[in-house]
Amino acid sequence: MSPTNGAGANRSAKILVKDLNFFYGDSLALKSVNMSVYANSVTAIIGPSGCGKSTLLRVLNRMYDLYPKQRAVGEVLLDGDNILAPSQDVNLLRARVGMVFQKPTPFPMSIHENIAFGIKLYNKVSKSELDGRVEKALRGAALWNEVKDKLHASGLSLSGGQQQRLCIARTVAIEPEVILFDEPCSALDPISTAKVEELIDELKEKYTIAIVTHSMQQAARVSSYTAFMYLGELLEFDETTKMFTSPDKKQTQDYITGRFG
Amino acid sequence: MSEHIVTAYDAELDLLGRKIAEMGGIAEKMLSDAMDALVDFDADLARQTVAADPRLDHLQREIEQSAIQTIARRQPMAVDLRDIIAAIRISADLERIGDLAKNIAKRAIVVAAEARLPRAIIGLKSMHENAALSLKDVLDAYAQRDVERARAVWLRDAELDALEDSVFRDLLTFMMEDPRNISFCTHLLFCSKNIERIGDHATNIAETVYYLVTGEELPVERPKGRSYSFEQTQPPT
Repeated sequence: MSPTNGAGANRSAKILVKDLNFFYGDSLALKSVNMSVYANSVTAIIGPSGCGKSTLLRVLNRMYDLYPKQRAVGEVLLDGDNILAPSQDVNLLRARVGMVFQKPTPFPMSIHENIAFGIKLYNKVSKSELDGRVEKALRGAALWNEVKDKLHASGLSLSGGQQQRLCIARTVAIEPEVILFDEPCSALDPISTAKVEELIDELKEKYTIAIVTHSMQQAARVSSYTAFMYLGELLEFDETTKMFTSPDKKQTQDYITGRFG
Repeated sequence: MSEHIVTAYDAELDLLGRKIAEMGGIAEKMLSDAMDALVDFDADLARQTVAADPRLDHLQREIEQSAIQTIARRQPMAVDLRDIIAAIRISADLERIGDLAKNIAKRAIVVAAEARLPRAIIGLKSMHENAALSLKDVLDAYAQRDVERARAVWLRDAELDALEDSVFRDLLTFMMEDPRNISFCTHLLFCSKNIERIGDHATNIAETVYYLVTGEELPVERPKGRSYSFEQTQPPT
């Protein structure tokens, strides 16, 4: 399968995955995956549990590096540079490729500190500039109006949906180029889910986004491109409108229509 | 197609298909009864045909309601989504076919009261054969998800248009021959238009079946068989 598989031929790939194999110890979790994540658009990765979608996402910012015995073989090009190369500065990579997890993971500190922490890690900034960037990040995550009067309250005092948007604000604060979402709404109620989806739609203006989701409807709503993975393989990749109305592969159709999974 | 994990979902889709089949059967019978009533000057049969229409309307509403329920409950995707959209569209076409057959039957009642010139009806019989065949074929194409058969119906509509054209000219000639034919032939003219419209609805259904199976649309323009008769038919001098 070509990296683009026919879809999005005219768009520029922010991330290009080439012949990627991934191992947990001896077991092969990703098999020759080739795909593109296009700039300034949302790419959804769907598939049944254990298909490798979260693994793929974790390769894109080398999150797997934190664990021994996990290794990736192949190439992942971010703006043309192979991020799997040993010479890649992993901290710098994670500043360029941010990640939001399934469960909200605020640090046990104030709302303000949750965001300022990351900024201070990567930049030397004055107090006033820091405050400005915190506000900008919270506005960017559509959380500012809800927390502006309690910036020094604990991040843990927020509701689940607010905590998730706080994590998105924290990711946005360090001005990454790519944001990876790993089932960002699976622990949220429908209203919070809608707010996060609205946010993702706005974020794609500035960022390149990849999202792993178990909700087919969510993938259909938020993404422009969809990748379907099954048993470690990328089975189909196409424009979302095509994938959810008339996919080419029978397995894709069976999965999205609820015939297996 | 393999089955859904949720078996009730399969049952809902099956029910939609069965109701379309029932509507198709009623529409076919209404068309053939209406034409028999017209040809045989049989007012009783015509009245029975008119009386069959409410069942068709009722079924269409049932299909729409259960389709809406299924969309709300299951958020259908891919072929399931196309399946449900197809059921909504086809039921609307079949309901209109029923209305058009009912219109023919209503005119058959009037025509039976002033029966004259049976030879004027011959052209309508050929139109009816053509339309009835298209309707039958397209219903089979739907039931069997047969794209080629659907496409054949879609192409065949040009013949019906050409037939309508020639019926139009014939009827005009009869009217010019003898003004006493005018009322009778005008009724037939409307009937021929109704049959032509039935053919168009069969063509719509063919397009829907094509979309249902392939996920792609047939071209907007299809071959036309009409040469437009109005301009070609000169009044007597």
